[in-house]
Amino acid sequence: MDSLVAQYSQPAYASEGYSQDEQQELSEVTPPLSLKFALPPVAQPSAWLRAMTDDYSNPNCPIKIAHGTTTLAFRFQGGIIVCTDSRATAGSWIASQTVKKVIEINNCLLGTMAGGAADCQYWLAYLGMQCRLHELRHKRRISVAAASKILANLVYSYKGMGLSMGTMCAGVTPQEGPALYYIDSDGTRLAGNLFCVGSGQTFAYGVLDAEYRYDLTEQEALDLGRRSILAAMHRDAYSGGSINLYHVKEDGWVKHGFSDMNPIFWDTKLTKGEFSNVVTSMD
Amino acid sequence: MASIIHMGREDPGYSFSAAPTAASANREHSFYPYVPNPSPLPSNSPRYTDNGGSTLGIAGATFTIMAGDTRSTSGYSINTRYAPKLFLIGGTGTEHKSARIVLSVVGFAADGHALAERLDTIVKMYKYQHGKDMSVAACAQRLSHILYGKRFFPYYVQALLGGIDEKGAGALYSYDPVGSYEREQCKAAGAAASLITPFLDNQVNYKNQYVPGSGSGLDLQARQAVPLPQQHVETLVRDAFSSAVERHIEVGDGLQMMTITVDGIQEVLIPLKQD
Amino acid sequence: MGGFDFSNHSRNIALHAKGVPLPQATSTGTTIVGCLFDGGVVIAADTRATSGPIVADKNCQKLHYIAPQIWCAGAGTAADTEFTTALVSSNLELHALSTGRKPRVVTCMTMLKQHLFRYQGHIGAYLVVAGCDPTGSHLFTVHAHGSTDKLPYVTMGSGSLAAMSVFESKWKGQLTRDEAVKLCSEAILAGIFNDLGSGSNVDVCVITPEKATLLRNYIQPNQREPKMRNYRFEKGTTAVLSEKVITREDISKYVTVHELGEDGAAGTGEKMEVDT
Repeated sequence: MDSLVAQYSQPAYASEGYSQDEQQELSEVTPPLSLKFALPPVAQPSAWLRAMTDDYSNPNCPIKIAHGTTTLAFRFQGGIIVCTDSRATAGSWIASQTVKKVIEINNCLLGTMAGGAADCQYWLAYLGMQCRLHELRHKRRISVAAASKILANLVYSYKGMGLSMGTMCAGVTPQEGPALYYIDSDGTRLAGNLFCVGSGQTFAYGVLDAEYRYDLTEQEALDLGRRSILAAMHRDAYSGGSINLYHVKEDGWVKHGFSDMNPIFWDTKLTKGEFSNVVTSMD
Repeated sequence: MASIIHMGREDPGYSFSAAPTAASANREHSFYPYVPNPSPLPSNSPRYTDNGGSTLGIAGATFTIMAGDTRSTSGYSINTRYAPKLFLIGGTGTEHKSARIVLSVVGFAADGHALAERLDTIVKMYKYQHGKDMSVAACAQRLSHILYGKRFFPYYVQALLGGIDEKGAGALYSYDPVGSYEREQCKAAGAAASLITPFLDNQVNYKNQYVPGSGSGLDLQARQAVPLPQQHVETLVRDAFSSAVERHIEVGDGLQMMTITVDGIQEVLIPLKQD
Repeated sequence: MGGFDFSNHSRNIALHAKGVPLPQATSTGTTIVGCLFDGGVVIAADTRATSGPIVADKNCQKLHYIAPQIWCAGAGTAADTEFTTALVSSNLELHALSTGRKPRVVTCMTMLKQHLFRYQGHIGAYLVVAGCDPTGSHLFTVHAHGSTDKLPYVTMGSGSLAAMSVFESKWKGQLTRDEAVKLCSEAILAGIFNDLGSGSNVDVCVITPEKATLLRNYIQPNQREPKMRNYRFEKGTTAVLSEKVITREDISKYVTVHELGEDGAAGTGEKMEVDT
């Protein structure tokens, strides 16, 4: 009875703002595992999910999840270049040619998307939220190392559940300088100068490794990023659409266009004489 | 790392569980129904049924048109000739008055209904709590989160969400089954998506169309896409569906079409072939 | 040594244990029917051919000629029905020439079932055989594994249940020719509208001791409505990288060139739908 009275007799202001539990939940860096997510009523949810959604092991799976495909990022003296294609495939079907695979976490942090589109979109948005909370709590911007670790710890806690992500976190902070991390859904987290991720990664590495230097000028770096993605889009059927190009600097990232690959390809071929394997005449 | 990235198929190294089982494989021009691969899972685990059908959405300068056929199928049978795939979201009463958002779902109809009801409830609750209508952008993100909430037990649906954005322009969002979403000008989903999409690419975005006489060889200028007038879009939608009916067995019976403008939603039902 | 061969029994049990399912009975995406009447027999079919969920042909012919007074409606794998009936037609013609008599429907049916049984169902032909011969009018069904039935009214294919429901509610003995044609077309229409594997038009073939009449596209209940827009492209819309013209003189060095007239003998194919 006393508890009932207490419940209804507390002053009105007490019910304002967040409750103890809600505050606890907000200050928790990662959400409680699996509580938010609906699970199928079977003994092995992950095996069930794989049978239903993994078109790689089962081409006839009923649910085709959109996948992302070629992405690259590299560090150089002027910052970080981030470049991606824009094609999403579900099985052999091109689900979209206009996907934004560079996710703007905040005005100085970028994430890239390869693997499951929804996984990347959702968890990078979630990462953006955590980064903002970090700023509010500590009154300074989060480091790229810390941001990438939040993501790595998060996906590691879901290991074996079927998440599919291959992502890169790029940002420039005063304490770190240009910083680039690779995180994937296995829980891998690597710092590095240069990464290509996705089914077209080998094609992109081929061009990027050949021409890469740390002391590239800004223009050279932008051109190299664009050319590497172009090579991957040309040879990899799961990559294509438009080239999405970003340059991350200390005072934030700059977008260098979301441009259709077709005119860029023909321009590269005709004015620079590359792609000579592609013939345009019937003789 | 390779395991997470989507790549091309490997050669079919047959194992016992993957060996072809039918006496004759799916031949061209056969009269056989398509038999899905036998599942390795126990028979009491949840299954999805594909109820067929197709949906389509096109956003214009001041309107959005959403459309879907009304046939519901399972296998070679027709469950019903009138099962709407379009749902009004956030309206009041049984008539859904004042709704300005339309959700279309295709795939497993039961999941589609559950999703539509859930989104409708959330949009209504938003209105009661905040005293204003939810914007399409907010609704679109909420829908993404609803879908992702079932990441490990997905809704077997391909959803489209149509409405009018805060600037008064037509807005259309498309979704994959686990909530990856994107704003687009036009999108087809469902059984006949592979038939309708190339038509839309060519007739709405003018893909592979060039301006005659604008140059020769590689100087030829691509035809630039422009927002189409409402009447034009309506005829494109009707032609897209009457053509899909000709070539896809799961599409037919009726075409439900909703035109969303700031003034309201206009719904029409047009008969399609029933064979 | 006679009798059955059980040598694969243990192997099949082992395979089944490893997860290989038993061979599945496949239903056929089509509706075909047949019905006897006073003084002849009628068979009918729909005209939709599918490949998975896609309509491959909107107006294919599923009624096959076997002999002047014997026709056959085919369901199952299109190529198998086509070639099986053509083979039997050929053999039956040779048989008729060597015996000097009109071929009999039972002979045709026996040849079909023996051929199909030999291939153990791997030839996916499901047939309705009908015809008139000196012994009367006959109607049979032949299944891919070689079993046959002799009945006054029959249906086959994925639309067989829809079609049979019409026969079971409306069939009576001593039908007239017109009644039989009407009943068969109604059965096919039930398949066309209620079975997704069947569609488009109704083909009918009426066989009497005097002659066989093929009523191609007897009913056309699914005419396409005209498109609302015109999709003609202005000349020059398609980008061209390079052009090369091969003249008739050039090509006739390698092949024989025939001029195609507006409605000449070569124009045997159906007219394609073209936007004007």
